Amino acid sequence: MKAIKVKIPPFDRRRFLALSGQGLGYSALVASLPGCGGSGGGGAPAPTPAPTPAGLPPASAEVLAVQRTSFGASQGALAEVQAVGIDAFLEQQIDYTTIDDSVVEAEVAARFPLANADPATLRNDFPNNFQNIVEDLVGATLFREFFSPRQLYEVMVEFWTNHFSIHLINGVIPLLKPQDDFAVIRPNAMRSFAEILHASAKSPAMLYYLDNFLNFAGAPQENYARELLELHTLGVDGGYTEDDVKEVARCFTGWTIDQNTGQFLFVPILHDPGTKVVLGTVIPPGGGITDGETVLDLLAAHPSTARFIATKLCRRFVADDPPGELVDEVAAAFEQSNGDIPTLLRTLFASDAFRESGDMKLGRPMEFLGRLVRAFNGPTDFPADDARLYFAVLNILGQIPFYWIPPNGYPDVAGYWGSTSGFLNRWRLALALNVPAIREYFPVEQAVAGAMNLAEVIDSTVDFVLHRELAAEDRELVLTWLEDELGIDRDVPLDAATVDALAPFVVALFVSSPYFQLR
Amino acid sequence: MASTGTLAAGAAGLPDILVCVFQRGAADGMNSIVPYGDDDYYNLRTRIAVPPPGQVDGALDLDGFFGLHPAAPEIKTLYDMGRLAAIHATGVPHGSRSHFDAQALVEAAATDKQFLDTGWLARHLVATASPDDRPFRAVAISGAVPLSLLGAADPLAIDSIEQFGIGDAGGGSYEDTLQALYPDDRPYAGVAQAALTAIEELAIADPSQYSPDNGANYPASQLGGGLLQAGQLIKSDLGVEVICVDVGNWDHHENLPAVLPGSLADLAAALNAFHTDMGNRMEHITVLVQTEFGRRAADNVSSGTDHGTGGCAYLLGGGVIGAQVAGSWPGLGPGDLFAGEDLAITTDLRDVLAQMLQRRLMNPDPAAVFPGYAPQPAPELFLAK
Repeated sequence: MKAIKVKIPPFDRRRFLALSGQGLGYSALVASLPGCGGSGGGGAPAPTPAPTPAGLPPASAEVLAVQRTSFGASQGALAEVQAVGIDAFLEQQIDYTTIDDSVVEAEVAARFPLANADPATLRNDFPNNFQNIVEDLVGATLFREFFSPRQLYEVMVEFWTNHFSIHLINGVIPLLKPQDDFAVIRPNAMRSFAEILHASAKSPAMLYYLDNFLNFAGAPQENYARELLELHTLGVDGGYTEDDVKEVARCFTGWTIDQNTGQFLFVPILHDPGTKVVLGTVIPPGGGITDGETVLDLLAAHPSTARFIATKLCRRFVADDPPGELVDEVAAAFEQSNGDIPTLLRTLFASDAFRESGDMKLGRPMEFLGRLVRAFNGPTDFPADDARLYFAVLNILGQIPFYWIPPNGYPDVAGYWGSTSGFLNRWRLALALNVPAIREYFPVEQAVAGAMNLAEVIDSTVDFVLHRELAAEDRELVLTWLEDELGIDRDVPLDAATVDALAPFVVALFVSSPYFQLR
Repeated sequence: MASTGTLAAGAAGLPDILVCVFQRGAADGMNSIVPYGDDDYYNLRTRIAVPPPGQVDGALDLDGFFGLHPAAPEIKTLYDMGRLAAIHATGVPHGSRSHFDAQALVEAAATDKQFLDTGWLARHLVATASPDDRPFRAVAISGAVPLSLLGAADPLAIDSIEQFGIGDAGGGSYEDTLQALYPDDRPYAGVAQAALTAIEELAIADPSQYSPDNGANYPASQLGGGLLQAGQLIKSDLGVEVICVDVGNWDHHENLPAVLPGSLADLAAALNAFHTDMGNRMEHITVLVQTEFGRRAADNVSSGTDHGTGGCAYLLGGGVIGAQVAGSWPGLGPGDLFAGEDLAITTDLRDVLAQMLQRRLMNPDPAAVFPGYAPQPAPELFLAK
C-alpha cells in the first residue's frame, strides 16, 4: 500500500519542548513573558437542529453543558450527564464537595508538594527553589483543571484566579502565591463574593503585587486602591472618582506583610487615623483595620459590583458580548443573594441564553489543551513529567497560569485569542501529535480503535475528539482528502497498522478545525 | 534578494513604513527626557530626580532645558544626528488613569469609549486601501493583534517569523484541507486564510535569512527581538506598511531609579540598532514610540511614580525633523499642574499623528482617522515627502 504523503512536522520532542525557546530556569521564566456519540445513536430520527451561529451542526445540549462547565468533555463526564440529565449534572457540579476528588488530590500532593507550602516553609530554601515552586504551582493547577472530577469548581478557581490576577514571576511572589491559591482562591471560589474579596485584600501575594504593603499613613500608595475599584469590584465605569481612589488608599494604609512569617499584618501606627469619605459614605476616624473592611463591605454590596461580576460570569459561561437581559438577571441575583456564587451559577445555567450559546465562545489555550488532554487521558496513567509538557505547550499558546503580567487577568474574548499566530500555533501543536514522544502523552490511536476503513476512521475520530456531528460537506472533504492521498476508496478494508498510522493526522486535522476551537 | 512583489510603502514617492512601539505600563516621561531647567522638577521628585548635566549620573543635555536620562545615550546620538525628536507634555487627553482603558483609548486615538471598536492604525489602513494591497499591510510582532489594528482587513499577528508555519509548509494537501474547513462563511475564515497565505509568502521571502546590516546589534530583549523582526519583514519587501511592536514593564510604582535605567537602555539600544540596520531605508521609515499616559509629577514614598497625565513620545526617521524636544512646557508649579498633580498635556498627540499621516504616510484626509476630533496644527515634526 502506498504510504500516506502527509508532511511530518520537522521537530521531535526535544525540539517541541525547546519551542518554548526558554527552558524552565528562573531567568527563562522571567524572560518568557514573554450528545455524546455525535453521529451515532438509535431511535426515532430527531428533527434537524438549527446550526450554531458559526454555521456548524450544534453539539447536543448535554455536550454543551459539559463543555461550558469544564476544561473539556471527558468520556466519563459525558457518560455522567447522559445518565443523570443536564440539571442534575450541573447541580452536582455546583455542590462540588459531594464529588470525590481524593485520587486527584493524592496525585497533586505527590507530584507538586510545594503548591501547598506556606511562605515561611518556602523561604527556608529561598531562592534555590524558585523554579520548583513555579513548576509545582503551575503543574498542580493544570493537573486539577485537566483531571479533577470537580470540573466546574476548577473552572471557578480559574475564574477567580484570573479576576484577582497576580503575576507569579514578580519579586518574592513565588513564595506568597501558593498560599493565595490554597488559602484565598480555592476555599472561597464557591462561597460569596464578599468572602473571596475580603480574603484577597488580606492576601500577602496581593498586598505585594499591588504595592499595598508599602501603603502608609501620610505617604499613600494607591495602586491597590485603584485596581480594587477598577478591576476587583466596581469596574472602570462603576461610578467612582479620583478622590475615591485616594480615600480608599488611605483606608488601607497599614495593611502590610509580616516579614518573618509572610502573613498578613495590620500595623496601627502606619494607619491613617483620620476621617475618610468613600463613595459618599463617611468612615469615622479611629477605625483602624475596620476602615479597609468597611470599604470592602461597601464595594461588595454595590450595584456596580453586582453588574461587573455578573458581566464577567456571563462572558465566561455564555458569550464574549453576553445578552443584556442575562446580565440584568445575574446582577439581580447577585444583589438578592449577597453575591452567593452558587446562586449566580444556578441563575446562569437556568437561562435560555446559556443553553443556546453553542459555538459562541472561542476556547482559550487552557481549554484547547484541556480538551485534548481530557479526550485521551485519566489522572493516574499520565506520564510523570507532564507539567513540563503543559508548560511548553501553554508557553507557545500564551496562557501559562499566573503568567499574565498586568492585574486585569487573561482576556476572555475571542478578539484577543483568535489571531493569526494564535491559530497557527494551535495547528502546529496539533500536528505534533505525530511525533512519537508526544504521542506517548496523547495516545491518538484510541480515537480510531476498531475502525476498519477510511469512513470509519473519520467517524470514530469525530465521535472521540469532537463529540458532535460533522457537517456533511466537511465529512466529504476529509474523506476525499484521505482517498486521494492513499489512492483507495473509503470503504476498502484497512489493516490495523494503517489505521493507527492515520490517526495522528486525522486527529490533528479535526483538532485544528473550527469544531475544536469553538465551544 | 530581488523583490518579487509590488512595493506598497517604504520607497521614494511612496508612503513611509510606520513602526509603532508601545511602551506598556505608562512610561515615566519626566525621568526619561528630564526638564532639568525647571526647579520645580527637583522640588517634586526629591527621591528620584535625575541630576542636571555635569553632575554625577547627570542628564545628557539636549537643548539647555531638557536632558536625556544617562542610561540611554544612543537616543542622544540619534537626536544629534537630527533623526530623532521627542515630544514632551503630550498624550491623548482621555482622562483615564487606568492602564487598560488608557491603552485602549490611545490605540483608538480617541477620548470617548464609543470609538473603541476600531484602532487608529486600522482606520488609516482602511482609508488608504487599494486593490493592489498585499496580505502583509499590517503586522504585529506579537501573539495577539493590538487594538490599534482592530478593524483592518486581517491584520497579522506574528509572534516569531522563524516559527511561523505548520511543519513543512508550502501548499501541501493537509494545509489545503485545513483551509477548506474554514470556508468564507465561517468564523475565523479570514484569520485562517491570512495565516495560510502568510505561511506561503513567508516561506518564499524567508525574512529570517536577513542578518542585521551595518553592524547593528539588537539587544536580546522583547523590543530588540521585535524590531529585529520588523527589520527583516521590511527587507523582505512583502508590502508591509505598519508594524506594531510592544515593550512591557514600564509601570514603575516603586524603586524607579533602579528599574527605569534598564528599560531606557533597552529602548535606546533597540532603536539605535534598528536605525543602523535599516541604513538608507530609514529615509522612508518612521518610528513612533508612545505610551498610555505619563506619570505623577511628584514621586511617591516608594521612590516610584503613580499614574498621571502628560507624558513623552518619540519619533525616529529620515523624514522626522529631529534634534528637538517639541511641544510647549507647561511648568510644574502648583498652578501649572493638571488636576493639581500631573504634568499637563500641551500637545494633543493626535495633532502629531495627523501631521505624520499627511506628510509621511500620504493619507490625504488624516482627520478622518480621528473620530470626534478635529486635528489642530502640531509643532513642525515631519518633512513632506
